[in-house]
Amino acid sequence: MELKNKKMDSKLFKTIQDEVLFQWSTGKEVDFEEAVKYHEAIPEHKIFSRKLSEASKLGNTLIQPRAGVALVDKHIELLNYLVNEGEADLLPTTIDSYTRHNRYNEVEKGINESRKAGRSLLNGFPAVNHGISLCRKVNESVNVPVEVRHGTPDARLLAEITIAGGFTSFEGGGISYNIPYSKNIPLDKTIYDWQYVDRLMGIYEEAGISINREPFGPLTGTLVPPCISHSVAIIESLLAAEQGVKNITVGYGQCGNLIQDVAAISTIKTLTEEYLEKFGYEDVVVTTVLHQWMGGFPQDESKAFGVISWGAATAALAGATKVIVKTPHEAMGVPTKEANASGIKATKQVVTMLRDQKMELTKELEEEKNIIKAETRCIIDKTIELGEGDIAVGTLRAFAAGVIDIPFAPSRQNAGKVFPARDNMGAVRFLECANIPFTKEIKDYHYSKMLERAKYEKRDMSFQMVIDDIYAIGKGRLVGRPR
Amino acid sequence: MNNKKIVLGVIGADVHAVGNKILAYAFEKAGFKVINLGVMVSQEEYIKAAIETGADAILVSSLYGHGELDCRGLREKCKEAGIGDILLYVGGNLVVGKTPFEEVKQKFLDMGFNKVYPPGTLPDISIKDLKEDLGVND
Repeated sequence: MELKNKKMDSKLFKTIQDEVLFQWSTGKEVDFEEAVKYHEAIPEHKIFSRKLSEASKLGNTLIQPRAGVALVDKHIELLNYLVNEGEADLLPTTIDSYTRHNRYNEVEKGINESRKAGRSLLNGFPAVNHGISLCRKVNESVNVPVEVRHGTPDARLLAEITIAGGFTSFEGGGISYNIPYSKNIPLDKTIYDWQYVDRLMGIYEEAGISINREPFGPLTGTLVPPCISHSVAIIESLLAAEQGVKNITVGYGQCGNLIQDVAAISTIKTLTEEYLEKFGYEDVVVTTVLHQWMGGFPQDESKAFGVISWGAATAALAGATKVIVKTPHEAMGVPTKEANASGIKATKQVVTMLRDQKMELTKELEEEKNIIKAETRCIIDKTIELGEGDIAVGTLRAFAAGVIDIPFAPSRQNAGKVFPARDNMGAVRFLECANIPFTKEIKDYHYSKMLERAKYEKRDMSFQMVIDDIYAIGKGRLVGRPR
Repeated sequence: MNNKKIVLGVIGADVHAVGNKILAYAFEKAGFKVINLGVMVSQEEYIKAAIETGADAILVSSLYGHGELDCRGLREKCKEAGIGDILLYVGGNLVVGKTPFEEVKQKFLDMGFNKVYPPGTLPDISIKDLKEDLGVND
């Protein structure tokens, strides 16, 4: 298949759709016209894009957890608990890992085992197996907007069923749900499959139904430098806009150094809007999301609350439109509803307390924003050049050349030569730039930051610093100082 | 370098990759030959790699909660394939939800694993145990 960044032709879309809807028995229930009418009847307060716009205007930071269990009634009970007890502003439906890899037979076994065991053996909600009417039951049983959250390379059938099922926001993208989320799926396949997903959203948009899309920001969630996650977010926004998407939330995973994180949230919005405009996409509404620390967590729950609250404070001071919360059970796995609600409440307390304070625009903050912008532009501009103007083609060539290289990614499509590490103040820098197309000035900057840490710690710059950084937060620090 | 070989990987539909890279690095530094299968490894793939390389142990990681479903039957498959006595270690976040570890440990011992490790176990621990189990002197 010849990949290009062009709005998908409607005949081609229909041909693919017929195949997609055949992939599992629940696909045949999809009826676009009927789904549009269903969406038209959804009340304003349950539409994701509306709530985001309102928050953006008022300068509020909305709070959203992750959550999903195998059985429908338990899932509804969980979601309502997270709103009633947890005070969540927005809800998720986190999809289980078998569904993410289209293993619907294994899903079916998981559902049956969960019924027998009286607890969920799946790590999320199996929306495809449950089908449209049960998805609608979920959406009708709660009173805030709900988003599909997952990590799915081929999300075409999932998108068809969940959107027809009444969800008004859908996470993911052809890069962000491939490279961190799979082993060896060709990038052209996932970009192509996600063009289908975005085109579906575009078709709903043309029928007057605005579905919010959220490229997955944190990627591998481990020391990802802002310029790398920003590059992916921008590319996925451009790809989505080409297919007719008009409402995008771009994301970033908290790194832990406040100045860097505030600069990151500010620049991700500026840069996304800049490139959307450059490519001629007007009237795309851009909002932002900060994900609380996505790496290893301390096992002690009180310490975990410390980490959660730092993320909450950062999101509020950065002015992110939305924050995705973690829980005190993070080191152990999928949280109970009580633990999940606790994480939301701790976040809400901090976010609300910080409402009236703004982050001062200091020289340091300005500098950090400029660095992130310069780095990101190096990567995106090179990608556009490699694609001779076509960002989809450029992306394939960029990954092949290591121009975009996501640290710690499981995918064999990723070069894996870049190594990040924290500098002496905890900001994430490049220990090894590999083939990222930075100017000499930028490379020298990272080198000097790492040298400063090496001198302070009286040891050489090495991979051991990276390992120490990976363990650091779990052990109570930000920078992995030598033992 | 000791002369022992291990097959390492993250089982099922799990894509957690960072810990896997750290384990590979740590076991290599400890002198083992590591055959790292990476993420999303099926039971069959572990066994095939173990047979092809004459491995002494299979180390299974599971972080996403489906360990309980994914690990069942691995010992039986090893027996069928003629490597019934191979050392099987498992570690990570092995079940959905925070559960007392003794309960989780028993569940996986019953499945036929030789060692079961709780969340957050440092590589040093399993390296020490493996050296002991394989009679590696330092």
